[in-house]
Amino acid sequence: MNWFKQLFSRPRLYNDLSEEIQAHLEQKIEELVASGMPRKEAAAVARREFGNLTLVQEDSRAVWQWPTVESFFADIRYAVRSLRRDLRFALIAISALALGIGASTVIFSIIYNGLLNPFPYKDANGISIFQIHDLDQAGVGGRGAFSVQEFLDYREQNHVFEDMVGTSYLRVLYTYREGAMQLTAAKVTSNTFEFLGVMPFLGRWITTEDTRAGAPPVFLMNYKFWKEQFNGDPNVIGATIILNSQPTTLVGIMPPRFQYFGADIWLPLTLSRMSAGNNDPSGQRQYVVAEERRKPGLSLEAAAADLDVISHRLSKVYPKDYPKRFNVWTDTLASDVVGGFKSTLYILLSAVGMLLLIACSNVANLLLTRATTREKEIGIRASLGASRGRLIRQLLVESFVLATAGCVAGCIFAYGGLKWVVAAIPPNNGLPSEASVMLNLPALLFAVAITILTTMLCGLAPAIHAVHGQLQTRLVGSGKGVNANFGHGSLRAGLVIVEVALSLVLLIGAGLMMRSFLVITHVDLGFNPQNVLVAGLSTPKGSYDTPQKIKLLYQQVLQRVAALPGVLAVSESFGVPPYDFAESDVTVPGKSHSEAWRSALELCSEGYFQTLGFHATRGRLLSETDIDSARHVAVINETLARKYFGKEEPIGRTIKFDIFDQLPGGPKNTYFEIVGVVRDFRNMGLKDPPMPQAFIPYTITGFRDRAMLVRTSANPLSMIKSISQEIWAVDHNIALAQTGSLESILYRFSYARPEFGLKTLGAFAGIGLLLVIIGVFSVMAYTVSLQTHEIGIRLALGAQQSSILTMILTKGMRLMAAGVLIGLLASYYLTRFIASQIWGVSTTDPLTFAVVVIVVVAVGLTACLMPARRATRVDPLVALRYE
Amino acid sequence: MKKPEQRDLFPGALEMMILRTLKRQPLHGYALVQHIKRTSNDLLQIEEGSLYPALQRLLKEELVKAEWAVSSTNRRVRTYRLTAAGAKHLHRQVSSFERMLEGITRVLARGAS
Repeated sequence: MNWFKQLFSRPRLYNDLSEEIQAHLEQKIEELVASGMPRKEAAAVARREFGNLTLVQEDSRAVWQWPTVESFFADIRYAVRSLRRDLRFALIAISALALGIGASTVIFSIIYNGLLNPFPYKDANGISIFQIHDLDQAGVGGRGAFSVQEFLDYREQNHVFEDMVGTSYLRVLYTYREGAMQLTAAKVTSNTFEFLGVMPFLGRWITTEDTRAGAPPVFLMNYKFWKEQFNGDPNVIGATIILNSQPTTLVGIMPPRFQYFGADIWLPLTLSRMSAGNNDPSGQRQYVVAEERRKPGLSLEAAAADLDVISHRLSKVYPKDYPKRFNVWTDTLASDVVGGFKSTLYILLSAVGMLLLIACSNVANLLLTRATTREKEIGIRASLGASRGRLIRQLLVESFVLATAGCVAGCIFAYGGLKWVVAAIPPNNGLPSEASVMLNLPALLFAVAITILTTMLCGLAPAIHAVHGQLQTRLVGSGKGVNANFGHGSLRAGLVIVEVALSLVLLIGAGLMMRSFLVITHVDLGFNPQNVLVAGLSTPKGSYDTPQKIKLLYQQVLQRVAALPGVLAVSESFGVPPYDFAESDVTVPGKSHSEAWRSALELCSEGYFQTLGFHATRGRLLSETDIDSARHVAVINETLARKYFGKEEPIGRTIKFDIFDQLPGGPKNTYFEIVGVVRDFRNMGLKDPPMPQAFIPYTITGFRDRAMLVRTSANPLSMIKSISQEIWAVDHNIALAQTGSLESILYRFSYARPEFGLKTLGAFAGIGLLLVIIGVFSVMAYTVSLQTHEIGIRLALGAQQSSILTMILTKGMRLMAAGVLIGLLASYYLTRFIASQIWGVSTTDPLTFAVVVIVVVAVGLTACLMPARRATRVDPLVALRYE
Repeated sequence: MKKPEQRDLFPGALEMMILRTLKRQPLHGYALVQHIKRTSNDLLQIEEGSLYPALQRLLKEELVKAEWAVSSTNRRVRTYRLTAAGAKHLHRQVSSFERMLEGITRVLARGAS
């Protein structure tokens, strides 16, 4: 008989069996009666000699079953039934697990999809990058962009790469009938698309043909750009548009997720040693970023070792491009792109791990409570012939059912939570833009794995505890006295202590983040970013290539914008303050120094200082005449004055910016007279001391890419339309790029990441605290219910209600104190791991520690209070009669 | 899952005795257990019920066949009969049991001397 037939013949088999056993018993009884025994006694004897009727039937049926599988299902049915009877317990346990499992799944799927598998490329995990790391600089990484010559040298001389692609990042002006737009473009080597293994959505790749000298200019388009600018019209393939004044043919559209280098368009990159000396039309040297795939089996370290040899050889050829002491740093592409955000993610992963542990101890505690109230049931089952292993299995199945429900609820919670967390991830400063973070199969598998782990974590100890000791004797006693003897006291207390300690660690972490965030948001920027609109301006190539033409253009633009109602001040600038500026080596006559003197350099108009709201501390600011006649004057910041002039008076001295000697369109060998000193602003980020900075008239160069700053009286974003109309009234070929408020730019660069850490860790810590409340409350409520009898006696003997209250609260506070103590010790050692995430506050900040302890104790006390109050209301008569 | 017969007998002993008894003549469950108890002079403490799981195992492995019949006392009973495979199995089991018993006896005899 095969198993399939057995499955269907089972009912008949079972019927035969019971009928047969019944016949057996009847026959026995009849024989006994025939031998003179009374029928009633005969029935008892027959049953006794037969043995355990239920067990015999069960064992006989089991022959035809897959016993483990089927009793497992039976256990599940039983567990579901018994959980439904105790719905409040089930709901609390399931929500605790859902929070733990859900939070872990959220963070796992971000790490999996954002850090481990963020790219839609072929074998993306095999792609790596290398950088020249200056050993005199702190941190990791370094220069990752190479000149065309260098790139070719590395490509030809290395022994470790299967293939190597290069990308050069640039801005391209796209002009069309109605206006102009600045695009982000990436020039890529012809092997790039094969290297990445991404097929175009429409049309074709860039091929080797396209990178030949003299080949007709072609480009590929980003899907999103195509949808937005061309309404997703497929006929646009083969069309020609004007990019940097050159008609260029569109040959393909890349698929939606493909965002290589965040570009709107991809152009062919021609690599040749002949043209390598040529500079980019904007006057800047062309730099190439390399990505490569290592030969099979080669580690990152092996690649670094090989490149190290080449780089030291090249440093002799291009001495200016290499620091004095350096080595080669290699990393995977994903790790490099995610950068510092990695540590944030790993910290969150450990936080959710702690949260899961809190949830588990919580549920374990609830299960212990339940096991105690179920002693009798377990005793009966044991008496009926269930072995200990069988009982443990059944209890584990019950926690499994809980965990599974928790898993389902957790996944729903994760679905929503993930959306929230992903929305909070700092844009351009967190995950790769191509990462698509969602609850996919690996994330769901992770949730399932976590669920099984959870079952073991929170179910095993209570299950073993429940069946430990003499099982049958439990039937003898009755009421709570027996329960109290059967103490899980220390285990329960231990679990609560662990919970309190873990949540304290989480809260201290979140607290430090909050303190740090407050410090960061209160850093004095040195200028006023409120109500400032920033717009990048890009002029078409060829039309504004002399300082004179640039000056004429901006004079008109600034005049028109300044005349708009609601505009308070307006300025031209080269970069977007505070972090974006030109940099130059400087020469100060009469000063000799061994190390390079560098300075940030801002090319601006006279309105700059008023627009950003800062004043001269000494001397004067740039005047309208300075700008108009492009005088060689400079205003410097305090750091420059202090660093390069020391105690000497800088005003009246001169300074040369060496960068102008190398760039076309800059004044050669020119010294600028220092006319004023201004207050520092945070040009190196909020956390670092400012670097020297100088401000000079914009009119001295013909650089094409500029920015405009407008101080408005109201919300600056509401002015975008009228401001762009004024600009286009002057020349409709000027492109506006990256328009936004200065505050939003600052937010993105400086506040978004700390805020993300604070929000997420804060949320996890909050959930942890909530679970602790449930944990402490359930333990105390349970303790009180066990002691009802004792409290009744005490009250009957004349104890005051207040003394009962104190008794219960002391008990609770003892648990809290132990947890807090352990939590403090753990935090003292653990907070150093979030040192990279916080700033301006010590990792053992006493204030944070103190506040968190107060919060936890207060919350714990509240959780104890309700059960304690109930204890004082015990009616002695009822309590005593209850036994 | 508990196997009660393991408490008193070694695994397979009960099956062997059932097969041996059925080899003589087909019997129903009650008669079978009475026969085993009687022939062993009640030396083996067999719970009557433990017969049934063993019978189910034998049925599943097709060492015995069962059919419903009407007994001499005009009662519907299920009669078990040895199959050819059952006979072969019994032969193998008995000879291996005898070898084992011989071994044990020798060791016990040596120990006694």
